[in-house]
Amino acid sequence: MDPEVMKSYLPLYRDALFLTMRIGWQGVLLALVLGLVCAAVLQLKLPFIRRIVAVYVELFRNTPLLVQLFFLYFALPRIGIRISAEVCGWVGLGLIGGAYMTETFRSGLDSIARIQTESAASLGMTRFQIFRYVVLPQAVASSIPGILANIIFLLKETSVFSTISLMDLMFTAKDLIGMYAKTLECLTLLVIFYLIMLLPVSVAGSIIERRLRYAEFGN
Amino acid sequence: MSGIRKNRIAKSAAALIGAAALLTGTIPALADENAVYRTVEEIQESGSVRIGVFSDKSPFGYVDEYGEYQGYDVYFARRIGEDLGVEIEYVSTEAANRIEYLQTGKVDIILANFTVTEERAEEVDFALPYMNVALGVVSPEDAVIESLDEIGEDQQVIVISGTTAETYLEKNNPEIRLQKYDAYAEAKTALENGNADAWANDNTEVIAFAIENEGFVVGIPSLGSADTIAPAVTKGNESLLNWLNEEIKALGEEAFFHQDYEETLLSTYGADYEDTLVVEGGVIAGEEEAETEA
Repeated sequence: MDPEVMKSYLPLYRDALFLTMRIGWQGVLLALVLGLVCAAVLQLKLPFIRRIVAVYVELFRNTPLLVQLFFLYFALPRIGIRISAEVCGWVGLGLIGGAYMTETFRSGLDSIARIQTESAASLGMTRFQIFRYVVLPQAVASSIPGILANIIFLLKETSVFSTISLMDLMFTAKDLIGMYAKTLECLTLLVIFYLIMLLPVSVAGSIIERRLRYAEFGN
Repeated sequence: MSGIRKNRIAKSAAALIGAAALLTGTIPALADENAVYRTVEEIQESGSVRIGVFSDKSPFGYVDEYGEYQGYDVYFARRIGEDLGVEIEYVSTEAANRIEYLQTGKVDIILANFTVTEERAEEVDFALPYMNVALGVVSPEDAVIESLDEIGEDQQVIVISGTTAETYLEKNNPEIRLQKYDAYAEAKTALENGNADAWANDNTEVIAFAIENEGFVVGIPSLGSADTIAPAVTKGNESLLNWLNEEIKALGEEAFFHQDYEETLLSTYGADYEDTLVVEGGVIAGEEEAETEA
């Protein structure tokens, strides 16, 4: 292993880390918003929109991200919709993530004991109030482990971005190996940089998880 | 309580870092056992030779509508199989992992339009060449790029990761913004879709693209030094290297690579390029020139 070589690659890996994190977190954010909205739609049983949400979830959960990126980046321009690689990246990530998050939130919502909604209703709360003040806070808390697993999964999924020419961590490593064949150095750096990106998430996650252990009433 | 919690987190973080260090520590140990190549005898004993070819680089290495490998490289691969007296196991490869496949012993020979360069020759052993190549740049007809100076700051050039075009532009024109892909199919689609302003690659490849795709022209037909394309084997595999060199010399006597050209490339390039592209018997015309430039 040659530390000089590794040092000279550092700026490239740093740039790749920033790009991966930027696109990754934008995607995670979109996924969280989409997941929350879709889960709410399913839970509140809103007519018609509920069907659309169901189709969306099944469509995106059952196709690989790679296929979705291909579609966004290579197929849409053929019908005149041109999206930059970066936008394709985070939108694609957000869409697949949204489908997973919907399921995670939904399982959280389902876990709230029926007696709570009934009690809230008997106090005269509206359906929306019950959802907003009784069900949602507890559901989010009990979904946290699933949400975290999804976030880490999404951040790791960025490794298929090379296919739409985004210089993420994985592609940077592969590219350098292709040019200079310093395989060991490149892959070691790759492991280190993925850890830099993901370890804090998983540590922060376990802290948040413990802080939010209040949602265990009535189970 | 919170003290214990912190402690636990710190411990698990330390364990993870330790595991990572262990993992990276074991890699050099694995790398030392790099002598993973097979000699000619071992290949013949096993009854099959593993040859790395492209599956998406028509007309050099591609899969046809019947699922069969075809192309200039594959035509040669078939002959190698025949003369070794073994079956051929084709392994589909991408530009960037050709060296890897040899170093890890996934293939015995790379016959994937592999341009001979100094950097690569440090990592693998090249046999005698069987084709000439230079770089070229193809761009849309209505915005032809005829010189690298014409490429503006906001323009992008497509390259394929791990190709000589990429290395050349990174080295000599670092100001040009590159859009990198890891497979030929994707790079071509991106160019057709107008995601970038030009595509730099081996000139054979961009000429073929311009012929097949209306609306594209090769604005820069020759760029950089004249290079050659040769089969490559794992570094140190003398046995297979010598066999390949003898094979290429012997095939020169029957003008094998001219036949190969006529079978696989003629329909794309026409007869005009035959003598420019084909290298017969491993002998390059104007060898000294090419060497001083490399």
